[in-house]
Amino acid sequence: MLRRAVLQTFRQGLAQSFFKRNAVSLSETTVTHQTVETSDEGGEKFVSTQKTGDESGNTVIVAPPEFRFMYPEFLPDPAMETRNRLKEKLERMDMLQRRSVIEIPEFYTGSVMAVTVSDANSPNKFARFVGICIQRGGSGLRAWFILRNVVEKQGVEILYEMYCPLIQKIEVLRLERRLDESLLYLRDALPEYSTFPLDMEPERRLNNLVVPINPLKVKLRPRPWLERWERQNLQGVEDLNLPQRFYDKAEKVAKPWEKYDLMLHYRKTIPAEEQEKIFAEVQSQLQQQELKRKMRRRRGSDNEQ
Amino acid sequence: MYVQLFFNHEQIRTMSRVKRRTTHPPYWHVLKNVQRGDEKISSDNLRFVREVIQDKYKNKSPIKGSDLDIEKTEWDPKTKRSGVIARNIGVQHMWEKDGKKVICTVLHVLDNHVIRYVPPEEYAKSIIGAKVFRNRKPLGCLVVGAEAANPDRFTKQYCSLFNEVGLLPKKRLARFIVTPNAALPPCTPLTAGHFVIGQAVDVYGKTIDYGFQGVVKRWGFKGGPASHGATKFHRRGGTIGTGRDKARVWPGQKMPGHMGSEKRFCRGLKIVRINMKYNVIYVKGTVPGPTNSIVQIFDTLLPRRKFTEAPPHPTYFPPEDGTLPQEDIWDSNLHVFGSPSISV
Repeated sequence: MLRRAVLQTFRQGLAQSFFKRNAVSLSETTVTHQTVETSDEGGEKFVSTQKTGDESGNTVIVAPPEFRFMYPEFLPDPAMETRNRLKEKLERMDMLQRRSVIEIPEFYTGSVMAVTVSDANSPNKFARFVGICIQRGGSGLRAWFILRNVVEKQGVEILYEMYCPLIQKIEVLRLERRLDESLLYLRDALPEYSTFPLDMEPERRLNNLVVPINPLKVKLRPRPWLERWERQNLQGVEDLNLPQRFYDKAEKVAKPWEKYDLMLHYRKTIPAEEQEKIFAEVQSQLQQQELKRKMRRRRGSDNEQ
Repeated sequence: MYVQLFFNHEQIRTMSRVKRRTTHPPYWHVLKNVQRGDEKISSDNLRFVREVIQDKYKNKSPIKGSDLDIEKTEWDPKTKRSGVIARNIGVQHMWEKDGKKVICTVLHVLDNHVIRYVPPEEYAKSIIGAKVFRNRKPLGCLVVGAEAANPDRFTKQYCSLFNEVGLLPKKRLARFIVTPNAALPPCTPLTAGHFVIGQAVDVYGKTIDYGFQGVVKRWGFKGGPASHGATKFHRRGGTIGTGRDKARVWPGQKMPGHMGSEKRFCRGLKIVRINMKYNVIYVKGTVPGPTNSIVQIFDTLLPRRKFTEAPPHPTYFPPEDGTLPQEDIWDSNLHVFGSPSISV
């Protein structure tokens, strides 16, 4: 069974096992498991459509579980006071419309990306920026991500709204993940960890099934820092070498019970059943768009030949 | 922001006596919700009750424009059309054609039906009508209902309001003041097509309830310094009057208290997009009230943003052959999501 290796923190694994118990057992006991794979000259993977059977025996189309990591902005904000199913549905339709015009690729924090934006003030009318994605957030049409780079010894961060129509192109130059979900500590790290050449070429993926996790440990500059990194359980940072009193204070302020708080994590996430419904709604359109883009690319390469 | 050196004490004093909110409905309302406890009703009887309800309200097919006997009236600039009851379902970001971001509120027009029309002479005799039209020429009143619900949960008196029309009782009722030429017969449906792209609307709703709030959040006072030795004076009001003038506290002095949960207008909001299939209006700006609250929408009374051309008068009816002219209508200034990216 084709599966993507995905970094699962304890929280994610716990939530998955707690709420996806039924769904996971169903998908593992499928009788018909069809994986659609196109001929891969470019070695690009086509996302598989799993057909699970529910209790009545009818086939129910279920999107693969990786969708919640590939397209996290399709999931709404979990706060119950502001949720409305109709509005979320309309927003998803608008998002798919925008995605039919421009390719918004799969990316994670730690991926190096290049974004071309239409800008009235720049000489060519288009501004291209290359950087590492240090944070991503927002849901729906408000989804955003921050790219960071060091240009002529000056650190620069730009926040891009993913669905803004001014964006002409989003390319992922290097698709990888890091050990943390948020790389804000790069602001206090040595500049070489945030520097990427502005004319960087897109790198070929070695393995299309797995998104590699870069186990890089970043060296921070000496204090003062922008945040108290010793209190944040960062995995991707080298040993901070601080006096013991910092770690003692961090222990006093820490909330070690939070990782056992199931209700807290339940309130912060959309339930698995709803996630499945949402992705089942959008997945056929997303797959069609993928197909069309691949055909266009192949036709383009054929024409060149 | 300019500093007000002299307060208009007269206005503050009169307005401070106006009751801002009530927790009970007006006394002329009939009792709405059923006040029953745990009624032990057998499943057979329950099924029978459901059958009775279904029989009573069956054969309610969608009403076409030709079925209703509406007089052909002309629109003139002084016409006041009906309004519509909608639910504020959230906020969505859209972009204009020059790339500027626009925050739009999404309003879902519920299943509105006209319940009855009260002609001007009759309305002027009612309690509210007499007050409103004391020194003016009286106008008619349209009672519109939205959100049909199971009659089980309402009292008999409340359901009797809908008996004449033969509709399922509605959860929400509203009155709209209309000129006689915009009167509608009972059972007329009102949809999102009642409005026109680019028109300005007023949205009337109950604001967010903040509860008991202090003077800094409620009135925007600056409070005191956070440090520099300030003892227990960070978010307080400070002085509440001079010693000289009148030697007392003026009525209407701004103090902590209950904030929010008041009916307010947001005027002159522009409609930028209408979705006819889902009956949804996108309005530029924000409206009073939290998400999922009910609001009333009607044509604006701001003089410079009123209609210059005739809108769907008295209301919009879909074409007879069932074809929708256009499902999703966008303002000319707005960037449609399916169209190519903007090059500035």
